[in-house]
Amino acid sequence: MSYKKNDDGLDRMTVFQECISEFNASPINPRKSRTLLSRLLYIVTTGAPFPRDESTQLFFSITKLFQHKNPALRQMVYLAIKELADDADDVIMVTSSIMRDATGNDVFYRSNAIRTLCRIIDASTIQSIERLIKASIVDKNPATSSAALVGSYHLLPVSRDFVRRWANETQDTVVANKPYPAALLIGRENTSSFGYGSGIAAFQTQFHALGLLYEMRSHDRVALLKIIQQFNGKLHSPYANILLIRFASRVLAEDPNVRKPMHKLILSFLNHANDAVSLESARAILAIRNATPQEVEPAISSLQLLLGSHRPAFRFAAIRALNRYAMSHPEAVQICNPDIQERISDPSRTVATYAITTLLKTGNNDSVDHLMSQISNFMLDIPDEFKVVVVEAVRSLAVKFPSKQQDVLHFLADILQSDGGVSFKQAVVSAIFDLVRFVPQAKAEALSQLCEYIEDCEYPFLAARILHFLGVEGPSTEDPLKYVRYIYNRILLENAVTRAAAVTALGKFLLVDKTGSVKTLLERTLDDSSDEVRDRAAIILRIATIPNKKIVADFIEPEQNYSLGALEQELVRYVTASDFEKPFDFSVVPTFTKEQENAEMLQAMQKATKSVDEDITQGASAAEKEQETASAISEKLAAIEEIRELGRVLHTSSAVELTERETEYVVTGYKHIFEKHIVLQYDVSNTLPDTILADVTAMVTPSEELNEEFVVALPELKPNSEGTIYVAFERPEDLFVSFETVLKFESKEIDPSTGEVGEGYLDQYEIESLELSVGDYLIPAFNGNFDHTWDELGNEASATYALEVPTIEDGVQALLKLLSIQAIGGTDHVTEPASHTLKGFARTLEGGSIAVVARFVHSAARGVSVKLVARGEDEMLTQLVCEVFE
Amino acid sequence: MSIWRRLYNWLVSLLWSSETNVVVIGLQNAGKSTLLASLQGSDFSPDTIPTVGFAVQTIVKNKVTIKCWDLGGQPRFRSLWERYCRGADAIVFVVDSADSDLLPTVKSELHALCSQESLEHIPLLVVANKQDLQPHATTVDEMIEKLDLLSIRERDIVCYAVSAKTLQNLDSVIEWLVARAHHT
Repeated sequence: MSYKKNDDGLDRMTVFQECISEFNASPINPRKSRTLLSRLLYIVTTGAPFPRDESTQLFFSITKLFQHKNPALRQMVYLAIKELADDADDVIMVTSSIMRDATGNDVFYRSNAIRTLCRIIDASTIQSIERLIKASIVDKNPATSSAALVGSYHLLPVSRDFVRRWANETQDTVVANKPYPAALLIGRENTSSFGYGSGIAAFQTQFHALGLLYEMRSHDRVALLKIIQQFNGKLHSPYANILLIRFASRVLAEDPNVRKPMHKLILSFLNHANDAVSLESARAILAIRNATPQEVEPAISSLQLLLGSHRPAFRFAAIRALNRYAMSHPEAVQICNPDIQERISDPSRTVATYAITTLLKTGNNDSVDHLMSQISNFMLDIPDEFKVVVVEAVRSLAVKFPSKQQDVLHFLADILQSDGGVSFKQAVVSAIFDLVRFVPQAKAEALSQLCEYIEDCEYPFLAARILHFLGVEGPSTEDPLKYVRYIYNRILLENAVTRAAAVTALGKFLLVDKTGSVKTLLERTLDDSSDEVRDRAAIILRIATIPNKKIVADFIEPEQNYSLGALEQELVRYVTASDFEKPFDFSVVPTFTKEQENAEMLQAMQKATKSVDEDITQGASAAEKEQETASAISEKLAAIEEIRELGRVLHTSSAVELTERETEYVVTGYKHIFEKHIVLQYDVSNTLPDTILADVTAMVTPSEELNEEFVVALPELKPNSEGTIYVAFERPEDLFVSFETVLKFESKEIDPSTGEVGEGYLDQYEIESLELSVGDYLIPAFNGNFDHTWDELGNEASATYALEVPTIEDGVQALLKLLSIQAIGGTDHVTEPASHTLKGFARTLEGGSIAVVARFVHSAARGVSVKLVARGEDEMLTQLVCEVFE
Repeated sequence: MSIWRRLYNWLVSLLWSSETNVVVIGLQNAGKSTLLASLQGSDFSPDTIPTVGFAVQTIVKNKVTIKCWDLGGQPRFRSLWERYCRGADAIVFVVDSADSDLLPTVKSELHALCSQESLEHIPLLVVANKQDLQPHATTVDEMIEKLDLLSIRERDIVCYAVSAKTLQNLDSVIEWLVARAHHT
C-alpha cells in the first residue's frame, strides 16, 4: 500500500505509535489522550483503516483508558471503540467495563455506553445484555431510551430473533411520551432558527421506537397495517409521523385493497402544522400509482405553498417533488407555473435549476420562447453539473415541440461556444445530435453548427464523435460536399485520434461524390505519419474499387447493424463451445436498421425523461437489472450440460410467481422453449431460518401426455438460500399445456443452539401450475415501419373484452406481459385516461410477424374494455393472440 | 481559603500520594471480582455475575491508589491476560482453595504466565481464596506444593490464605499491594 501520509499531515504510523505509548502510560493524561483519539478517529474515518493486528493493538491500548473517569475522555473512548469494533479481534473484552457504565447512574455515560455495547456484542453474548436493553428502552430518560433503540437497529443483523423479543418494550415506548428534558436542549437553541424548534428533538424516542418496530415487523404486512392503524394520531414527533406516512405509502403500493383507508390517512397529514410532515404527505400522494387528478390536486397546491417557504430545504424538496411529477403529468403541475417562475431567481441555484427544468416540462408552445431567453442569462452563473441538467431538459423540449427547433438550436449553439467542462459540452453535442435525428427541418443548420464547433474543439474524443456523426448524417443532406471541407481540415490540423475518425468520416462521402475529389483527398492521407490513419484510408480506397456496388454500399453505409450485446453473447458462446469446424453463424444475431435504432433511442429517451431525478438511477438500474437477470438466466442454463445439448433457447418467459411471497418456500418459475423441447425452471428459495431441505425435486404432471426428458434436482437447500430445479419435456404439439407441480424434499431441522442437523422427514409442497400461453411463442421485436407492416400482413382476427383492471395503464401493461409483444412508438405510455391505442409487434419462434392493435376504452360505468385486432402470417397463431384474455 | 486549601492538598498529594497498577487474574469462579469488592469495603455478595472481559476497580488506602484490573477467568479470556499484565506493578493470582480438582489447571496457567518474557520480575501474589469453606480448603503449604510455587525463580512471590467472605487476611493483601506502590 502506498497510502502513508494523508493530506492533513497526520502520519498514520506516528499516530499509531503515539497512541500505543500514551495509552499504556501511567498515569494517563486525559487531555492528551483525547486529542490523540481524535486524530486516530480522523485517520480511521478518512483514510484506509488500520490492518487487523494494528487495530487490535490499538483497541487494547484504548481499553486501558477505562481506568480514567474523565467524562470527556470516556466519550472519546466510546467513539473510538465503535469505530474499531469491526476491525479488531476480541473486542468482547470491554463488555464488563461498558456494562458498568451502562448500568450506572450517570446519564451521560449510560447512553454512550449502550450505543457502544451494541456494536461489540455478538450472537453468543447478546443474551447477557437482553435485560439491560429492555430496561433501557423503557427508561424514563429519552437519551438512554433512544440509545437502546438505535443500538437495537445495529443488533438486528447480529440476531434478529433476539431483538424481536423486545417488541413489547419498543411498542410501549412509541406511545410513552418522553419530552426531551430542557437541560439537554441547552446549546441546541440554534436549531429553532431552522424552524424545528425543540419540536423535532422532543419525542425523538417515538421516532426511534417506531423505526425499530417497523424493522421487527416489516416482513409481515398484516402486522405493519396494525402498526399504522394503532399509532395514527398518537404521535407527537414529526419524524415519527413522516415514518408513518412512509409505511402507509408502502402498504398502499403493495396492496390495492387498502388503498382507500391509506389514502385517507396520508391525506389527513397534508395540512399538518409541521411543514416536513405535510411535504412527506404530498410526496406520498404523488407517488400513488394511477392517482386521479382530484386526488393529486390538494398535494400539488400544498407543494405550491411550500415553494414560498422561507427555508431553502423546503423550497428545494417541493420543487423537486413537482419536477418529478411533471415528468409524467406535466398538465397537473402547470397550475403552479407562476410560483415556479419566481423560483428561477431563487438564491439557491439548485432550486433555480429545478425550477427551470420543471418549467421546460410544463411549458406550452407559447411560453417556450420566453423561457429560453431566461435560461440563456441563467446559464452563465451556474456550475457545470446544473448546466447539464438544463441541457437535458432543453433536449427533450426540442423533441416535444419541433416547431421551436430554431430557438433551441440557437440556444444550444450559443452555449456550445461558451465556457464549460467536458461533460457539459458532451451533453450539448448529444442534444444537437438528437435535433438532427428527430427534427428533420433542423438537420442542415445543426450539422453546420457542429462543423463550426469541431474547428476549435479541445476534446479529441468529442471531436471524433462529431466526425463520425457527420459521416453518418452528412451524405444524405442536400449539399454533402459542404462538410467535406470541414472534415478534411481536421486531417490537416489534428492529432492522430481525430485524424483517424476524420478519414473514416470522409470515406462515407465516397458514394455521393461524383467529382472524385473525396478520393483525391483520401489518397493524400496515405502517407500520414500514423499507422491507423493510413490503414483506414487504404482500406476505404481499396473497397471503393470493388466493381460490385452493393458490397461497397454495404461497407460504407450498412443498412443493418448488428445488435452489439447479442453479437458479443453469441461470439462468447461460439468461442466457449470450441467447435470451430462450423463457421460462426451471423444469422442468429439480431440486426437493426438505422430507423429502428433511432426510434428505439427516441423511446429510451422518452422513458428516461419520464423517470429522471432520483428515478434516473433506479430506472436505468431496473432496465439494467432486467437485462442482467436475463443474461444470468441464460448463463445458468448454459452451465448445465443436458440443457446445452438441447440447442439454442428460442424464448424465455418472464418470471412467474408460483407461490405467495410470504410463504415458507418461495418459488418462481420460468419457461424456456427450445426447438424440440421445453425446459421448466423453478427457482426455489428456502425462507426458513433453521431447516435444511435435501434432495429437492419437482414432480411435474403435464395436462397432456409428454415425454419427460430429464430433471436437474437440488441435492441440498440451506436455510435462507436459493436454488434452481430444471425439468425438461419434449415440446408439445398443442400450444397450450399446463404443468401441475409438486415439490418433494426431505426436511431436516437444525438445532439453533448447537447447529446439529436433526433427522429428516419426507415432505411435499404444492405450488401453482405453470402454463404455456401464446406469449411463450412470441418474441418482442421492434418494427420501424409498423403501419406498412400492418397493411401487408394477411390474416386478421379480432376480439373484444371487458377487463378487470382499474385503469387503462394496467390493461396495457397486462397485455404487453401476456402477449410478450413490443410496444411500438411509445404507445405503451398512456396519455389519456379515457381511451388509448396500443400498437404492438412481435416475431414468432419461426421468424414470422405478429402485429397487434389494441384500442382501450375506459368508462365509469363499464370499466376498461379493449378491442384487440391482430394480423400475422400464421392464421392459427393470429387467432390465438386474440384469444389471449379467454 | 478554599483555593489555598486545594493548593495545599495538591502539594501534599504530589509529595505523598502514590499509585500502583495491579492485575487480578485466576480461573473463572475463583472469586476475583468478589475479593476486589471486599477489598473496597463492600458487603460480601455470593452471586456476582461473571466478568466478560475486564473491569477496573480502584482501592484507595492511606494516600495510595491501587488500580485493580479485574480480568475475566473464562478460557476465552486467558490468552488476553498477558496484554494487561505487561507493565503492571504486581500480579494477583486468585485460586479457589475449595476446588482441589482444578489445581492442575491452575498450575499450568500460572506457570505458562510466569514463563512469559514480557512479564519477567513482576511481583506475584497467589491468593488461596475461599478459606471459609473449611475443612475442604487447601492450606497455604499445600497450595505452595501443589502449584509448585518454589520452582518459580527470579520473582518476588508470596502466597496468602484469605477469605473474601470472612475478610480473613485481607489486611495482609492490602499491605502487600501498598508496598508495591511507587511514588508518582
